[in-house]
Amino acid sequence: MKLAPVDYVILALYFAFVLGIGWRLRKSITSSGDFLTSGRSVPVWITSLAFIAANLGAVELVGMAGSGAKYGIMTAHFYWLGAIPAMLFMGIFMMPFYYGSKARSVPEYLKMRFDEKTRAFNAFSFAIMTIFSSGISMYALGLLLHLVLGWNFDVSVLASAAIVLAYTFLGGLTSAIYNEVLQFLLIVMGFAPLAILSVGKAGGWQGIMSRLPPNMTHAWQYMGSPTDNPMHVEIFGMVAGLGFVLSFGYWCTNFLVVQRAMAADSMSAARRTPLIGTLPKMFLPFIVILPGIAALALSKMDLGYALPLKPNGGPDYDQVLTTLMGQFYPAGLLGVGLTALMASFMSGMAGNVTAFNTVFTYDIYQSYIRPGAPDRHYLTVGRVTTVVGVLLSIAAAYVATRYNNIMDLLQLVFGCVNAPLFATFLLGMFWKRTTAHGAFAGLSLGTLAAVLTLASTTAEDKGGWIANIYTFRSQMAQNFWIAIIAFATCFVISVAVSMVTTPRPDKEMEGLVYGLTKVPHDATAKWYQRPAPLTVIVVILLLLLNIWFR
Amino acid sequence: MDLRVPSGWFFTLVGVILLGMGVFAPHVNAAPLTTENVNLYSGGCMLAFGIFLLAMAWRATQREKRSNT
Repeated sequence: MKLAPVDYVILALYFAFVLGIGWRLRKSITSSGDFLTSGRSVPVWITSLAFIAANLGAVELVGMAGSGAKYGIMTAHFYWLGAIPAMLFMGIFMMPFYYGSKARSVPEYLKMRFDEKTRAFNAFSFAIMTIFSSGISMYALGLLLHLVLGWNFDVSVLASAAIVLAYTFLGGLTSAIYNEVLQFLLIVMGFAPLAILSVGKAGGWQGIMSRLPPNMTHAWQYMGSPTDNPMHVEIFGMVAGLGFVLSFGYWCTNFLVVQRAMAADSMSAARRTPLIGTLPKMFLPFIVILPGIAALALSKMDLGYALPLKPNGGPDYDQVLTTLMGQFYPAGLLGVGLTALMASFMSGMAGNVTAFNTVFTYDIYQSYIRPGAPDRHYLTVGRVTTVVGVLLSIAAAYVATRYNNIMDLLQLVFGCVNAPLFATFLLGMFWKRTTAHGAFAGLSLGTLAAVLTLASTTAEDKGGWIANIYTFRSQMAQNFWIAIIAFATCFVISVAVSMVTTPRPDKEMEGLVYGLTKVPHDATAKWYQRPAPLTVIVVILLLLLNIWFR
Repeated sequence: MDLRVPSGWFFTLVGVILLGMGVFAPHVNAAPLTTENVNLYSGGCMLAFGIFLLAMAWRATQREKRSNT
């Protein structure tokens, strides 16, 4: 694929705008709160779009199109079964505790609700995860640009990291959030034409259905047996593993996304942030997954298009999106598509870096290294941590170049950390009897259970380091079951230990636990500003989508 | 800062560039699998979206001015 001068002009224009936004916002940063938490002053429409954009990194974008080609419309379960219900739960039930507690981060909430050791466990594991996640995203983008455009890996990685560093260093979280919205709009505008053109060329949805096996175009009908569907997952694993544990674990406890809602300018806006975010989120599969499915259909037509291949001859699903762009985008729109890809990388990386600097500054530096310093000092630490975070991400990107299975490992680490953490939050927020010792024991043993499950089972020749007591039909199924086992272990151990240890007095948990917290009801708000009507609309739309693509 | 202003200008400029490509150079580096003038259509949509964002921002500024006076 070769770019024309006009494509470079569009790319340069985009870089100028993101840097300009950072430059313009630099004057509004006067305290650590402004830099790290946006001073809780961002309008709700911006936090809502940033909430979903922070998760829309290059790895997700490229991966979703690839999964569309590999697994078909079942990939949409990540949205319609997983993300949307989890975001509704987050907005309705969990946000009042996050926002109302005045915690500045998820680990800080854990400290307020439980104790220091639970906060430390979460802060350190989260900091390490964000750095690796950011580095791997950088690696994936550099590799893709090298393979597709022949760009130098080092230059791609360093230049894009420098731009993210510049605008987050200047304007902090507000700059990251504002740019995420621009990036989200660009991703939609840049990839919507690809979806329309590729699906149209394949003869519309009916044409795709006529060219592909039926299990690629039905989300639910082939879930009865793992042998019938392309993901090789049975319905319980899908609903409990993806639909409940993994999705709720990610969307309700991952500070990367929760931070966007916590930056909203009021409790009402914070609650509406994930709820409003569900509306564009539920239609994203049409932009990010559908082109992948269309690519598979196109490869079966006599058009001269074939799925890209790896050196070993197998399909290279990661290149589906970019090869489609090469087939459908002329000079000009190709520049927009490529810029959208860069934008997705930047929104994902900035999300990781801003979450990392907040957790490091407040939950590690201020808590364990230098408590009680003036706020100016923490602002400086926040800025320095931003630079360090980007440098560590670059280092992680180069580590990833040396280990070709590091992405699998990271995905597994997410499952191991997030799945038990959701059980801790569920119990901590909704059962006041949960004790700090119970939470810590559950979290530690839940994580251990996840690692042991991986070490004693295999899937697609991975895992089973200790023994092989069960073989899953796919890695996806294995990931889902690891999450289920980790969640269940954490839940049971937390309850058991809590029953034999002393709970905190109710007075100390006001604002942190259901039943001891006054959940605000804004009676004067218009109907579309209240959580309940918004939720009803989303649920109806969600049901219609699931029924249509059943 | 009203985010609709920079976003509006960005999409307006990109829309104008694509429209220009669609009108003056519809066959330069054409894509293999489409005969449609996609630069023209996409540019039109982006230009309209950019102008819409700028109009919304302008309306908000006018409202703010009115409420201040």
